[in-house]
Amino acid sequence: MLSKQNFIRASEYVWEIPQTFRRDMRVPARLYADEELLDAALTDNSLPQLVNTATLPGVIGHAIAMPDIHQGYGFPIGGVVASRLPGGVISPGGVGYDINCGVRLLASTAQVDEIRPYLETIASTIYANCPSGVGSHGHLRFSNTELDRVLHQGSRWMLENGRASPDDLERTEEFGRISRADAAFVSERAHERGQNQLGTLGAGNHFIEVDKVAEVYEQAVASRLGIFAGNVAVQIHCGSRGLGHQICQDFVSRYQKTVRDYGISLPDRELVCAPFDSREGQEYFHAMACAANFAFANRQLLAHLIRQSFDHVLAGKIKGQELRQVYDIAHNMAKIEEHEIEGRTVRVCVHRKGSTRAFGPGSSVLPNDLRDLGQPVLIPGSMGTASYVLMGTREAMRRTFGSTCHGAGRLMSRAKARKLIRGTELRDQLRSRGILICAESMSGLAEEAPQAYKDVSRVVEVVHKLGISTRIARLEPIAVIKG
Amino acid sequence: MSFEEIEHTADRAFRVKGRDLGDLLVNAARAMHALEGVRFAEGKSGTLDLEVDGIDAESLLVNWLNEILYLEQKHQLVCGNFQSYELSGYRVRARVQTHQRSNYQADIKAVTFHNLKIHKTPEGLEAEVVVDV
Repeated sequence: MLSKQNFIRASEYVWEIPQTFRRDMRVPARLYADEELLDAALTDNSLPQLVNTATLPGVIGHAIAMPDIHQGYGFPIGGVVASRLPGGVISPGGVGYDINCGVRLLASTAQVDEIRPYLETIASTIYANCPSGVGSHGHLRFSNTELDRVLHQGSRWMLENGRASPDDLERTEEFGRISRADAAFVSERAHERGQNQLGTLGAGNHFIEVDKVAEVYEQAVASRLGIFAGNVAVQIHCGSRGLGHQICQDFVSRYQKTVRDYGISLPDRELVCAPFDSREGQEYFHAMACAANFAFANRQLLAHLIRQSFDHVLAGKIKGQELRQVYDIAHNMAKIEEHEIEGRTVRVCVHRKGSTRAFGPGSSVLPNDLRDLGQPVLIPGSMGTASYVLMGTREAMRRTFGSTCHGAGRLMSRAKARKLIRGTELRDQLRSRGILICAESMSGLAEEAPQAYKDVSRVVEVVHKLGISTRIARLEPIAVIKG
Repeated sequence: MSFEEIEHTADRAFRVKGRDLGDLLVNAARAMHALEGVRFAEGKSGTLDLEVDGIDAESLLVNWLNEILYLEQKHQLVCGNFQSYELSGYRVRARVQTHQRSNYQADIKAVTFHNLKIHKTPEGLEAEVVVDV
């Protein structure tokens, strides 16, 4: 059992579990949080899960947890674990079942006051055009050959097929395409599950949210991102749907034997991994990249459908309204990156599970027009609360393998939320606060109630004060389309 | 009670019991359906044959549940009546009845191996299963 006494408080927001805490730890574990968020993390199994990740072969630096950490399966959600290459490992559980689950932000050129009279129609049109909920299917069905093109090209397929602009790709992590994708390593079942799910939101914590830009903290940076106080913005939160789930499942199942073959001993079977450079490791990496590209394409198609919905409703009403892409980020992904560790450049496989890449200014992977600023980071709050736009920093490169938090982080179990909260009452309460809700499942809505989450503003304050990302703008919801 | 939901912060989890491994598999499938809020629709039913194996009892349990999830999503139906099965080592063959579904509240992405251990108890076997939602 872990308690506060097991931590060394290295500074106000840095809590360290020394490597001596457990004999199988290969590196110390580190939590970035204030004391209240540490107390919250101690209420579930997330910190023992963090310690478990410090036992992975090749793990380097620290096993890291962000202030939004909460219990997952295998890896905690809100974790960053880097494995040194060559010799290190890749773990499908370190990415999760929803490979490249992420967030896209579109900023409108219109003010909320202009759009408010049409908001209900916009929300219901988006709800009709963007299939959501359990087992939802998209409007497009792909043959395996065409699907493979999407898996290899990601958002670029959408550009070639009239559903993206060059600016959309420019403002997407990895420019909307991971280059190492190889669909030969994607199972028949995963193909089957992906054939009709492009352009769907799914269920669980996924959503489309129409927001108001409530506050801008850094005017100059925000205006370069196209973000202006009082304007409308739209967030899309979803991932790689059944295709990604199946790829993760295929490899977690297969790796149960792989770890035995490589003599890898682990404290939890969901942490199964393979040496990155092995045949098994490479096959997962190629398949994971396919799912990542599918997710980029999925958010791109949803963005296209949302733009069509706005255009349809606002035609002849608001002249020149446009939804321009601010950025699109992944928060479940494994990436090969180079980082400075103790003065040396080291190649690593960085697992971010419920954490966001937050590269600072000067990074060569950023689009030219943002290179002097750093990478935009999108932090969705819980339903009915604020969301944030941040920027990556050099401090993140130094402390956290260029990573930051990914959201508010859950506090209450889904079972408890369903017991304590009635979905219909919650919908009515939010409506009385001026937030429209479109949702298929009222029990699903109750599970995602704001009370079930930590305070996102507190989480963001920690990463801002630590300097691993900088607050740029705060968004507040005016309509939520729930998966 | 052969199964009950247990608390999990981000996902869903259940504790399941069985007289033996076969009974545990049957009850785990029922538990998963209970979490999904599945209801059978009235009307025509059919059958499906399942064949699943694992390298040990835990992997058989996970693979069995994931196979049911896959088939249900593929055919847009619900499997029921899991009693007709043959278990040989860590391989199970089963013929299940299939039904149209009238209600389906929660989407389970996958069944995980997280801290999964099938324990022997005086009454038989017990396990805690975490599913990703």
